[in-house]
Amino acid sequence: MELDDLKSNWQNAGGYSKSESDLLNMTKLTHHPSLKKIRIKLIAETIFLVLFLVIYYDWFDGDKKPLYANIILATGLLFYIANDMIGYVAIAKPVSGLNLKLSITNYFARIKRLAIFSLIFSFLYSISLIVFFTSVIHFTREKRFLLLGLVIILFQLMFWSFRVWTRRIKSLQQQVKDFDTDDNK
Amino acid sequence: MKKMDSMEKAFLKIIYDYQKIIYRVCKTYRDSKEDQEDLFQEIVYQLWKSYPSFKGESKISSWMYQIALNTAIAIYRKPKLPVDYVEKMPEQMRTGIGHQVSENEERLFDALRILNDTEKALISLFLDDFTYREIAEITGITESNTGVRLNRIKTKLKNLLK
Repeated sequence: MELDDLKSNWQNAGGYSKSESDLLNMTKLTHHPSLKKIRIKLIAETIFLVLFLVIYYDWFDGDKKPLYANIILATGLLFYIANDMIGYVAIAKPVSGLNLKLSITNYFARIKRLAIFSLIFSFLYSISLIVFFTSVIHFTREKRFLLLGLVIILFQLMFWSFRVWTRRIKSLQQQVKDFDTDDNK
Repeated sequence: MKKMDSMEKAFLKIIYDYQKIIYRVCKTYRDSKEDQEDLFQEIVYQLWKSYPSFKGESKISSWMYQIALNTAIAIYRKPKLPVDYVEKMPEQMRTGIGHQVSENEERLFDALRILNDTEKALISLFLDDFTYREIAEITGITESNTGVRLNRIKTKLKNLLK
């Protein structure tokens, strides 16, 4: 295929397959292929966590636990919810620059920051739960083993999450590198 | 509300008239029809979100390409599962998003999909007759670098399509 053929094939590709009403639907979040699911998950998770924050004091004897355990739990939960919301906004808006290179670079920096905060807050949230529920426990040998098992599972989950973020970050890093390469040099 | 309606109408008219741009970007950046369809929706959504800040200072096609290419590159794709090589693509796969495509068109897109994401962006704009200066403005790559890279991509494409 010669250059002119390439251009004409390119310029003839595609038709008017989407009607204006199809396109209108696509502007709505309820029809979005991924954001809709992420938003539902975010809302469900937030409702669950806020409810937990409201009832934990009565249901899980917050008054019998030390003050520090209550503060750590509430702080851990609130930071986790806040990070979830910030993450949603960051993912929903990939376009934020005057040109492609700037936009991808900004997005890369945002996702990297989000990955770090997500890992830290997920870890702190899990630790806050463990601290709260173990703060008044009298530890026996079996209970210590159980706690050790929980901590191992927690680290395993953190590792998986780290791997997912790393894959995402590496792919964006490659895009930034490709845009930065100057073939004149 | 009335203002919103007229803005929505104007937006839909533009996207309807220029939907070929979105189609081409989707076909270039995604392999399966399902992924192309998802990306199409994602791009229309992002265009709608950025429409209020589009002041009409640049060409509509420049604005659309910038948002469409940006979305296609940034949005996360799950790693592909390894697939067995099939010598001839089944006939039902040779369809675009909602219409039949020619064999030459399919060959072109098959070749384009082999390029990396930055190369895809550059050649897409070149094939749509953007000048080197316009391509440099949209991508953020210098004009001279754009020229060097495009020459390399054109050679690569010609070899792929021999």
